[in-house]
Amino acid sequence: MQDKVAVEVSGITKKYGNFTAVNDISFTVAEGEIFGSLGPNGAGKTTLIRMLTTLLKPSSGDALVAGCEVVKHPEEVRRQIGVVPQAMTSDLDLTAYENMDIYGRFYNIPTKERRQRINELLETVGLFSRANELVASFSGGMRRRLEIARVLIHKPKILFLDEPTTGLDPQSRRVIWDFIQQFRKGDAMTIFLTTHYMEEAEEFCDRVAIIDHGKIVVIGSPAELKAQIPGSDTITLRLENISEPLTGRIRHLPFVWSISVEGHLLQASVDNGAQNLMELLENIKDQGAKVLAATIHEQSLEDVFIHYTGKALRDETKKVDFLIGAGAPRTLHR
Amino acid sequence: MRMMAVIDRDLKKFRRNPLVVAMSVLMPVLYLLILGHSFQGKLTGLPLAVVQGEQGTASRQLLENLRAVEAGPHTLELYSMVDQEEAIAGVRKGDYKAVLVIPRDFTRRVTQHNRPEIGLFLDNTDSISSSSIQAAVTGALHAVGQDYVTIREQAGETYQREINLFRKVDYFQSLVPGVVIMAVFLGSLTTGAFNLVMDRFLGVDESYMLTPLTKTDIVGGLIGSGLFITTCIALLIFTISILITGIPFNHFLRQFFFIVVVIILTTLGLLSLMFLILGRFNHPRIVGILSGFLNVILFFPSGAIYPIASFPSWLKIFARINPEAYAVHALQCILFKDVGLTAISNDLFFLATFVLIMLTAAITTFNRKI
Repeated sequence: MQDKVAVEVSGITKKYGNFTAVNDISFTVAEGEIFGSLGPNGAGKTTLIRMLTTLLKPSSGDALVAGCEVVKHPEEVRRQIGVVPQAMTSDLDLTAYENMDIYGRFYNIPTKERRQRINELLETVGLFSRANELVASFSGGMRRRLEIARVLIHKPKILFLDEPTTGLDPQSRRVIWDFIQQFRKGDAMTIFLTTHYMEEAEEFCDRVAIIDHGKIVVIGSPAELKAQIPGSDTITLRLENISEPLTGRIRHLPFVWSISVEGHLLQASVDNGAQNLMELLENIKDQGAKVLAATIHEQSLEDVFIHYTGKALRDETKKVDFLIGAGAPRTLHR
Repeated sequence: MRMMAVIDRDLKKFRRNPLVVAMSVLMPVLYLLILGHSFQGKLTGLPLAVVQGEQGTASRQLLENLRAVEAGPHTLELYSMVDQEEAIAGVRKGDYKAVLVIPRDFTRRVTQHNRPEIGLFLDNTDSISSSSIQAAVTGALHAVGQDYVTIREQAGETYQREINLFRKVDYFQSLVPGVVIMAVFLGSLTTGAFNLVMDRFLGVDESYMLTPLTKTDIVGGLIGSGLFITTCIALLIFTISILITGIPFNHFLRQFFFIVVVIILTTLGLLSLMFLILGRFNHPRIVGILSGFLNVILFFPSGAIYPIASFPSWLKIFARINPEAYAVHALQCILFKDVGLTAISNDLFFLATFVLIMLTAAITTFNRKI
C-alpha cells in the first residue's frame, strides 16, 4: 500500500478462558480511509475496536494506531484518537456544553481554544442552540451527535465509531453520516467503524472487512467484494408450492449459481437477472408451479455478507457472573 | 488540570441532585435525634410495682424516696399493689419491670437493728432495666439511712469524693462526635467511588477511559470531589449538632481548626477505603448491601456510643485499626476536653498513616481497563 498507514494490526488475539473473541487478525487501514468492520453479533467487532482503542489488553499480537503501539504506549494512542463507543456515554446530569468542556479539559486544551472549538462543533452538529440544556432532555439522535462532536474536540487523527447509528431513526442516521463525511473532509481524518447496516457500509466505506468467529473472512472495497461472489443479481420468487424436482431443475440452469428456499420463497443468485428471468419462469411453468410474485435486484453488500456468514441467527451469549449477576466486576467479556 | 476537570464534573453533578444534598444533611441529624432519644443514656419510666406491707416510718420514708426518684430523674414509675402474688404475676406478664415487697416487720426490724429486709423481684431477662431499678432502689434505701440489701455499714467507712476533671457532658452532647463521623461516613459512601460505580452502571465510564486521564487523575479527582462535598456536609452537621446540643467552646478557633483537620483526614481515609472496596463494582445494589455492613462494623466499635474500654478483647483489636475510633476519640478530646494537640496527636498520626496506605492502595489497584 502506498498510502500512509493509520492503523496496522498484526496478529491481534483476545481470549477469555477457552473462548477466543478475536483470533489472530491482521490488516491495515490507510490514512484518510473510511474503514468498516462488519459482522454478525458476537463476531468480535467490539472486542477488536476495544483493543485498538486501549480499553482491552490483547492476549497476544499488537497494533500500531496513529504510529503508536497500543500495548506499550496506550496513553500515546489515547491522545491521538477519538472514540464513540457503542453505548450512549454522554453524561446525563451535565449540559451539552459541559460535557464537551470537561472532555476538552481531559486533553488539556487551553480555555480560549476550547471554548471556540466547542461552539464550532456544536454549531456543526446542530446543537448550538441547546448547548446549555441538560443531556437528560436530549433524544437518542441528539446524544449521538453530541458524542461525535465531543470526541472531535482535540482534533483526533483517527475516529473510531462502534455502531454509531444503531437504534437511531433514519433521519438521525442520515444526519450522522453527513457529519462523519464532513469531518473527514475537513480534518483529513481516518475513520474506523463497525456497523450492522450494510447499505451504510456500501455507501460510505472505502473498504470493509467482514469478521466472523473472531477472524476476517474477507476484506476489500464494497465493489471488489461484490465482484468476488458468484452471480450479479438475485431473483426472489414467491411460489404457490415448491417441489424437489423444481428446485433440482432450477439449480441446473446454466445462469444460476445457487438457490435457497425458505417457505414459499425461492431465492436464486444468477448472472444477468433481467435477461434470464423469462427462461427461469418458463422452467417453473413447465414444472406446473404457479408464480405469485417475482423481484430482481442487483447483488448488494448484504448478499456478500450473507454469502460469507450464512443465514443462521447469532444469539450472542454474554457471560454473567454466577454470584452477583450483572453486578459483577468487569473482568468478563461483554 | 485533568484532575480538576474530574472534580468539577462531580461537583456539578452533585449540585444537580438537591435531594441527595438534602438527605446527606438530614440523615445524620435524624440519627442524632433518634439515637439520642432511643438510648438516652439513663433509662426512664421503668414500671415498678410496690407492695407495702405496713405503714411504719421506715416504710413510708423508703416510699417517699422512691417517689422522689419518680418525680426527679424519672427512672421509675411506681404502681401501688396490695397482693404480692398478683404483682409478681404482673412482672411475668411484662406489666412491670420489678416488684418491691416491703414486709410487715420492716420498720420494727429497722428500729431494732435486727437485719431488716426488703424483697426486689426483678425481670432479669432485661438486664439493663434490672440494674437501673436495682441502683434506684439501693439509692432510695441508702437515703433511709441504712443499706439493707448489699452493703453493710461499717465504722470507719471511707467516703469517696468525686471530682469532675471536665465540665459536665450530657448524653446528647456526647453523641455529637459520633454523628459528625456518621456524616463523614455517609458522605464518603455516596460520593467518590460511588460515582465510579454509577458511571459504570450507566455505561458512561467507557468514554472517560478513552481519554488521556491517568489512574491518579481518576482516583484523585473522584476522591477530591468527595472530600470537598463530605467536608462541607460534615461541617454543616457539626454546626447543627452544636446548635441542638449547646456544647460550649473555650478556644473556638483552635478547637474548630482541629475539628476540620480530623474531618478532612477521616474523610480522606474513608473515601480511599471505599475506593478500594467499591472501585471494582458496577452495580449500585452492591454499594447498598455493603453500606449497611460497613456502617455497623465501623460505627458501633468506634466508641461513639459505648466506651471502647468495655469491649471484649477481640473487638478492642478491631477498634485499634478502625479509623472511625480514632476520629471519634479525637473529636471527643477537642470538643469536651479542649486539651490541645498532644491528646490527639496519636489519632492524627494514625489517620494520616491510614490515608497514605489506603490512597496508595486505591490508586495502584484501580483497574483502568473496562
